[in-house]
Amino acid sequence: MVDTASWVCLLLPLAAALAITLAGTRPSRRVTAYVSTVTTMGAFVAAVIAFIGLLGESPDERVNTTTSWTWLSAGPYHFGFTLLTDQLSIVMMLIVTGVGSLIVAYSVGYMDREDEERRYFAYMSLFVFSMLLLVQSGNLLLLLAGWGMVGLSSYLLIGYYQERPSAIAAAKKAFVMNAFGDATMALALFLLIQHTGQLDYAGVFAAAPQSGAVANLIALGLLGGAVAKSAQVPLQTWLPDAMEGPTPVSALIHAATMVTAGVYLIVRCHTLFENAYVVQDLAAALGAVTLLMAGLIALVQTDIKRVIAYSTMSQIGYMFVGAGLGGYSNAMFHLMTHAFFKALLFLATGLAIHAVVGEQDIRKLAGVGKLMPFTKIVFLIGSLALVGIPPFAGFFSKDPILGEALARGWFGITIFVVGVVGAFLTGLYAFRLYFIVFTGEPSAFAREHHHAHHGKEGPFSMMWTVGTLAALSCVGGLLQFTPFWDPLTHWLDPIDPALAEATGWEELLASLLAVGLGLAGMFVAWSIYAAKRRRAPKPVTLFEKKFYWDEVYDLVWYRGAEVVTRALYAFVERPLIAGSMSAVSQAFGLGSRELSTAQNGLVRSYALALASGIAVLTVVFLAAR
Amino acid sequence: MLGPDIQWYVILSALLFSTGALGVMLRRSPLIILLSVEIMLNSANLLLIAFSRLHGSEDGQIFAISVMAVAASEVVVGLGLIVALGRRHVDLDVDRLRTLRG
Amino acid sequence: MANFLVWCVWFVAAFACLVSALAVVTFRNPFYSALALIGNLASLAVLFLLLSGEFVAAGQVLVYGGAVMVMFLFVIAYLGDKSEDSPWSGGPSWQIVGAVLAGGAILAEVIVVVGLAAGNFLSSPAPITRSFGSPASIGRLFLTDHLLAFEVTSIVLLVAAVGGVVLGSHARVTESSLEGDARA
Repeated sequence: MVDTASWVCLLLPLAAALAITLAGTRPSRRVTAYVSTVTTMGAFVAAVIAFIGLLGESPDERVNTTTSWTWLSAGPYHFGFTLLTDQLSIVMMLIVTGVGSLIVAYSVGYMDREDEERRYFAYMSLFVFSMLLLVQSGNLLLLLAGWGMVGLSSYLLIGYYQERPSAIAAAKKAFVMNAFGDATMALALFLLIQHTGQLDYAGVFAAAPQSGAVANLIALGLLGGAVAKSAQVPLQTWLPDAMEGPTPVSALIHAATMVTAGVYLIVRCHTLFENAYVVQDLAAALGAVTLLMAGLIALVQTDIKRVIAYSTMSQIGYMFVGAGLGGYSNAMFHLMTHAFFKALLFLATGLAIHAVVGEQDIRKLAGVGKLMPFTKIVFLIGSLALVGIPPFAGFFSKDPILGEALARGWFGITIFVVGVVGAFLTGLYAFRLYFIVFTGEPSAFAREHHHAHHGKEGPFSMMWTVGTLAALSCVGGLLQFTPFWDPLTHWLDPIDPALAEATGWEELLASLLAVGLGLAGMFVAWSIYAAKRRRAPKPVTLFEKKFYWDEVYDLVWYRGAEVVTRALYAFVERPLIAGSMSAVSQAFGLGSRELSTAQNGLVRSYALALASGIAVLTVVFLAAR
Repeated sequence: MLGPDIQWYVILSALLFSTGALGVMLRRSPLIILLSVEIMLNSANLLLIAFSRLHGSEDGQIFAISVMAVAASEVVVGLGLIVALGRRHVDLDVDRLRTLRG
Repeated sequence: MANFLVWCVWFVAAFACLVSALAVVTFRNPFYSALALIGNLASLAVLFLLLSGEFVAAGQVLVYGGAVMVMFLFVIAYLGDKSEDSPWSGGPSWQIVGAVLAGGAILAEVIVVVGLAAGNFLSSPAPITRSFGSPASIGRLFLTDHLLAFEVTSIVLLVAAVGGVVLGSHARVTESSLEGDARA
């Protein structure tokens, strides 16, 4: 039952994508939208059925692999099209299909009257299939295939507004940076094949090298892929630009699911990372750096979606910290709650954007909360969950990560400090956004351009999905409250045992500091932006320029490549390659011109040639004898 | 055999041949070239007859007669061409007759 | 005594042969060159006689000297006096040098090759009978051992005759059309 449900879950979105693509413009746009939504919900139902099936099995037997055929067979290496349904993958499947179906349903209303909805829904179904392939795969090769396909879907959806050059450029940027990660991952897989001869999860983790340079390289390659996909330092510059896509895309791909694939990878391959603990610590360090940097940049952004994008970058930094320090279930739990409240934030933003002619600048959207009370409430819920105020979801998931950091020596304490500073920044930027956009008097722009949707704030499809996510953000955190009750940790324990457990005191300290600083940030934001007791400080240029990452990359990679290309063209291409071509042709021309002088039409010189030839040949034949 | 040995005839034949060759390569008039070709053919005939005498078999003489017949045929055609050229008042100069050039 | 006579005859004939050959290639007037060739052919006939090739010698005089050279002389007379000045000029600059070199090389090579191939027994000709080279023996060979060569040679002669007629008639047709144009 579990296997069948897994296959149905995987193949329903693929069937939808293919059907929509092949049907072309024949069905109406509404029908296409419903097909996509219904199949994604069907996939969620199948995932639930698989989950129930897993519940019925004892913890040791919860690893269900099902292979349909040998996908790749090369010499002694055989890789099958294997699906794995175990505790970890079922969690991801539920999140992807659950949140995914809510977002696709939301798109029915958001993308209504868009230029070409059918293409959008085909891409969305393709993405859901790719993501499910990634999380359900039973070997690393199929995971890499899913990895690449989610990158493709992301490219297609970011560049959905094809007429906008900025969207096209953002799509290319995302794809290229992800391709870099794909390359490092492929290299890691090559090393694994060389040293273990297999890539199935069942075998490769046990057979991989335990330590040494090879283990470090393998983990480093996988980390490269994870960093690229999850937009961590140093491959993070594509995520803010990815906001060029439609808002539901930003919610699904760039908040809830695709960018968390990196975290999933680390958690799934934790054995490989534990073999190379240096790389694992590096993952945690990168996560810490990213969460701090993203928090600082989010303080000065004026585009509402970009603030939330940097918030995503920051929160994934927390997940990397969790996975890097060995608290795998903490990281997965934060992944789950983050999916809820980040999707909620994006979709609520979408309500506002949809109502105010697509405007995304917070200065122009200021005060729209007065015109849209429902949106204001759900956004507040999402922001509280983000900051980590109990009893909303973020509190239960973020604090254990910080608590675990305390249990890991000096390195962990440093990360803990960074983490709590990040909590302060989270409170600050989240509520800066809330207070500017959703409180106070509406700006002239908002008042002028706000259009209600038949008297309500938005279409029904958008409202009920946002409401569901808000409810999940309220109660979703109650799944696990370490150290009092932690069903998720127990659930994941057979495959991902945590590296260290935080004591009760450390948990308490972490919670107090995090919540306290979060509230402090909220207070500062309130005093500047709501109560206007203090003047807002001038934005720091360093933060506005996003720490100059884009400029550095442009200089090093683009201009560097340009210099190299020009040099190669001038010194190699033109003189050597093109020159040798023309030299050859000139030599032929010269040779033939010289030879043609022998064809002068004079009988006497022909006779002379004859006689000379005879003379020479006689000597040759004599000598040969 | 009375008289010089065969090698004298060989040397004479070689001298005749090279004289004929020089004539072909150096003269401008097609008539003279044709005459020089005749000299070369005759030198070959001389060599044939000489070796026929050396071996004591008349096959060489048969060959020489055939050569004579072929040479006559060739002269017929060659002279026919030259007469045709002369009829059109073309300059009988081998250097001018060079339309077959590459 | 007889040997000495033969040697003298040989030298005279050989000398005449070479001189007349040189005359052919050096005279400017083609008529004189043709006459020199007749002399060449006659001295060659003498040499053939010394080599016991009586029939061939007779054939040489009759066919070559009587038919071929007469044809030559007719054509030269028909074409008029076309004496050339500077008969050896023209052509590429290296023509004369190259020609002399090539000719000298061929001369040397012929002697060397023949010497290498047959040098040992050039001094010992085979003994022959009285009927060697007589018309009877030549005729017998033509009609028995070398019948094919005989027939093929006659075909070649036929072809040459046809060719001569064709070349001649073609010229006549063109000439009459030219005259027709000139009158009109």
